[in-house]
Amino acid sequence: MAEKKTKKETAPKKKEATKAAAPAVKAAAPKAPATGKKEARVGVFICHCGTNIAGSIDINEVEAYAKTLPDVAFAANYQYVCSTPGQKIIADAIKDHNLTGTVVAACSPRLHEPTFRTATKEGGLNPFRFEMANIREQGSWVHMHDREGATEKAKDAIRIAVAKAALLEDLIPKSVPVEKAAIVVGAGVAGMQAALDLANAGIKTYLIEKTPSIGGRMSQLDKTFPTLDCSQCILTPKMVDVGRAENIELMTYTEVESVEGYIGNFDVTLRKKARGVLSMAEAEAMGISGGGCNGCGDCEPVCPVIKPNPFEMNMKPRKAIYIYHPQVVPLLYTVDFDSCIKCNLCVDVCGDKKAIDLEMKDELIKVKVGTAILALGYDMFPIEKKDEWGYMKYENVVNSLEFERLICASGPTGGHMVRPSDGQTPKKVAFLLCAGSRDNTGIGKPYCSRFCCMYSLKHAHQIYEKIPGVQSYLFYMDIRSFGKMYEEFYYRIQDEGAKFIRGRVANILEDPVTKNLIINAEDTLLNRPVRLEVDMVVLAAAVQPSSDTDRTRKLFGVSCSLDGWLLEAHPKLNPCGTTTAGVYVAGVCQGPKDIPDTVASAEGAASAASIPIHMGEVELEPYFAQCIEEKCAGCGMCVNLCPYQALALVEKEGRKVMEVTEAKCKGCGTCGGFCPGGAIWMQHFATPQIVAQIDAFLLGGVK
Amino acid sequence: MARTKGYPEALEKKLADTRLYEDESHPEFTKTVEKISMTIPHMCFQCGTCTASCPSAPRSSYRIRKFVRRALLGLEDEALTDPDLWLCTTCYSCTDRCPRDIAPTDVIMAMRNLAFKRDIIPVNFLKTVQAIYTTGHGVPNNDVNRAARKKLGMNADPPTTHAFPQYVKGIQYILDYYELKKNADRIVKEREG
Amino acid sequence: MREYAFFLGCIAPNRYPGAESASYKTAEKLGIKLLDLEGASCCPAPGAFGSIDLDIWYAMAARNLVLAEQMKKDIALICNGCYKSIWEVNHKLKHHPELKERVNEVLKGIDMEFKGTIDVWHLAELFYDPEIVGVQKIRDSVTVSLEGTRIAVHYGCHLMKPKKERHFGTTEHPTWLEEMVAALGAEPVEYRNKMLCCGAGGGVRGYDIVHSLDITNEKMINLMEAKVDALTEVCPFCQLQFDRGQIEIEEKFGVKYGLPVLHYCELLGLAQGMSPQELALDLHGISCEPFLQKVL
Repeated sequence: MAEKKTKKETAPKKKEATKAAAPAVKAAAPKAPATGKKEARVGVFICHCGTNIAGSIDINEVEAYAKTLPDVAFAANYQYVCSTPGQKIIADAIKDHNLTGTVVAACSPRLHEPTFRTATKEGGLNPFRFEMANIREQGSWVHMHDREGATEKAKDAIRIAVAKAALLEDLIPKSVPVEKAAIVVGAGVAGMQAALDLANAGIKTYLIEKTPSIGGRMSQLDKTFPTLDCSQCILTPKMVDVGRAENIELMTYTEVESVEGYIGNFDVTLRKKARGVLSMAEAEAMGISGGGCNGCGDCEPVCPVIKPNPFEMNMKPRKAIYIYHPQVVPLLYTVDFDSCIKCNLCVDVCGDKKAIDLEMKDELIKVKVGTAILALGYDMFPIEKKDEWGYMKYENVVNSLEFERLICASGPTGGHMVRPSDGQTPKKVAFLLCAGSRDNTGIGKPYCSRFCCMYSLKHAHQIYEKIPGVQSYLFYMDIRSFGKMYEEFYYRIQDEGAKFIRGRVANILEDPVTKNLIINAEDTLLNRPVRLEVDMVVLAAAVQPSSDTDRTRKLFGVSCSLDGWLLEAHPKLNPCGTTTAGVYVAGVCQGPKDIPDTVASAEGAASAASIPIHMGEVELEPYFAQCIEEKCAGCGMCVNLCPYQALALVEKEGRKVMEVTEAKCKGCGTCGGFCPGGAIWMQHFATPQIVAQIDAFLLGGVK
Repeated sequence: MARTKGYPEALEKKLADTRLYEDESHPEFTKTVEKISMTIPHMCFQCGTCTASCPSAPRSSYRIRKFVRRALLGLEDEALTDPDLWLCTTCYSCTDRCPRDIAPTDVIMAMRNLAFKRDIIPVNFLKTVQAIYTTGHGVPNNDVNRAARKKLGMNADPPTTHAFPQYVKGIQYILDYYELKKNADRIVKEREG
Repeated sequence: MREYAFFLGCIAPNRYPGAESASYKTAEKLGIKLLDLEGASCCPAPGAFGSIDLDIWYAMAARNLVLAEQMKKDIALICNGCYKSIWEVNHKLKHHPELKERVNEVLKGIDMEFKGTIDVWHLAELFYDPEIVGVQKIRDSVTVSLEGTRIAVHYGCHLMKPKKERHFGTTEHPTWLEEMVAALGAEPVEYRNKMLCCGAGGGVRGYDIVHSLDITNEKMINLMEAKVDALTEVCPFCQLQFDRGQIEIEEKFGVKYGLPVLHYCELLGLAQGMSPQELALDLHGISCEPFLQKVL
């Protein structure tokens, strides 16, 4: 951290009531820890949470018990302590009873710690003199049918919390400045939207994309439901905007290599993969005047290497020097070094532009940002794992993204819908919904992939539009058309002639001669097995986090759920935040979303990510380690143990002592637990506080 | 479970109440089926994958999906008295494909076990029991086969309970422990006289 | 030479003794010695006993397992129905202590105790396993190549299904038995709906023979369409259903097929030079002659 603050004047505002018992934040803290037990006056506030807690815990008994505890000067209960009147009870009690600390026995700190800290502050105390006893998530909810046991456990939880509250000190959060820049990882529609929003809000934004072009999955789609706009038509203007936006620094063919730092001050190292091609700007910088790739494409025809194009779901060839499709942004060729034979034909044909450098190496670039947005997107689930449907075994079974390319005018067939085995136009097409979704076998995905119902309806529409006399069959379990104008779209497609068969397909067999497919399902509404021969099957395969998601999320310290989707800070109230301050999620990487929801989530993430930047500084929780300098022997062992490089040895008054860079310290306690001299004081989790909690638990209610 | 209307018999039958009433559901039936089958029919979402996998479905009124539904709803009488219960060939195709990871085949087996407790069972099942009680084999040896075995240079009887009949006692002990032979004899006699 | 307790079941020894005889001989040539499992009984029939009372099925199968435990040998067997009873009960008792306790309570009365000390294998899986025999060794053991014949495979149900409990991988498109057929020089032939059940299981053959045969007949139609010379399987009960079943189909539906049906061990026996007499092929309901003429 370059601008390490050495401000030491952050002394606590001493409260007269507390008689200066608590040590001040830094220098003072270590000298007189854990004083004031005699003077401690703790208030206990027990929440009913309606019947959430009161339904299985005897509140009156718990309150009576709390009053018997040492240091408790006041105890009360209330229906909803988090409500405005509930908070007022806390504030009033602090003043009326001269309290030095507060304990609220209610839900989890994750939910309401900020609320009760504020209430404590309102009462005139330092907000860190508050401790929470979780008697709901870890009490009433898990012991719903054991009133007596839950009541006893609540007493334990309160006793332990009171023991700590009696020893709590004033703490002052530290403010750090926020770098006025953001990074967005992934340039699909979510990442593009987030980057545009940030850029338009005046924030310098690095937009990182691992593939050679921005656009993501949406650029592979033909049309979009329910409006049937052409996907490319509505996306390319955005792509162009991204390419032009002054505040956006677009870096394609680039991956995140490492991340250091914390909210406001992330140091991100990026790997700009060797692309083999110089942009015009890069050429200019290298003194090749008028050179660099202008996207003329002369290199492509001369390249002798042919590879499948992943953008076209491998149904169309590309060369070793390639662009995905004509509308790529940036319009810049890329050399696939895994297949390039370095024959130099492209270099020759490129001539004076000197755009191609077959000796190019990966480059590491460092950027500093205040906040980050992950928009990592999704992949198709490898549906061949559900082998009953024969994907990859039967030629005429395709997945839905392949269908998008097959029906797209810019796709491998020029939009002529044909089936792979013989290039014939299919006259009977079956769509299998929930292919690999809603699957609890351990092979597929247990979740609903959320947009397959709607795109399958759209697919049915598209074949009616393109193939006269075609018949579509949609095998479904439920049609989930929950969005705006979605149910109306369902109505329309049914009216267009799509046949809906309410049954999941058990298996598909292939006619060895015609390559037609024989579908076995049950029409569960008719209560009859169905055997249907069709020309082509489209599997609405489940989606899963993109292959890079796990690696990237770990770099940013973001958790994921069991199925790999990134975990939001709160599923309802903080859907774009994560538990890592300053890191936000956008789009499908947080869970399956259609385009409207993806864009909305991207705008939400951009808004959230811009707040700390516009605030200019952020407060860090003051849970950092402190060195008790007179006890420190300067051995330096803690310095190496620290996982965050937050500690250093410095010369002070002629001897070596440890010093903490507070903004880097995450309060993990590794150093404090290790220090052989007991010279490290973990603020808010100090040894005397924790020992008091353990004693309170083990010694029971003994006074 | 039609509600009686007090009409003449023919009309009572024709106009029988076909609605599903709550009192037809026996939650303990669901639980018992789950215990015996060691599977989870209460998780069924009625997708029909089982019926569509079933070799018996296309040639009969047997719908395994319906039996799983009955298990879920606790419709004990309807499940156990339906003769289709005995058309499952136990091929386990439904079990392999069920997206909810239920083993419908084992649900059927559990229901058959419960049907047997009410003496509902096809006699051919019991005849297998009787054969095993006597010889240890469900498909015992016969003279033609004995001759063929000898021609192959083998003993006329295989080294099973056939060649070592002293082991049949142990089998009889097990079957008697469950009173299976007694019940089989009784039911066969009731059916065939 | 690896040694296994050979669990015979009922139909092989009592209806198709050639399959039994061939098992001993072919296995021996491939390094597997099959030992008599004295006093073994019916597995017991999983359809019949499982339908009546699963507890009795567990106890009866456990008795057979204990016989092999006493021999300290793993069991090898040649019938999918037996596999279902013996393998599955072994597996269940090993993994459900309360079930094991219940079963041992019964076995106590005949001085037996299930301990869970052995494993159960289908001879076909031992043949396929490269660690034990493997396709190459099968190929090397062939003296009379079955070249020029088209052979379809019926896997049966109870060997590989339910796949989650078993260890055979795909039950939709398996090909390992085809590999073993190819090793004999024959051409393995795919046919429609290969994995369809034979129709015999679950007591249906006894309960509703016409229903049962109609399933078999669907398979027969698909097999005839593929123009095969023979059908091979690894389950004498499936064999009975296809072999005797064709006669019953002719009686009841008036359709005649005449497709020879051979257990894989019989087929392997032929390829290793055993004569049709040594395999008692004359006991088959459907004459194997047309097939034999192509081979011998």
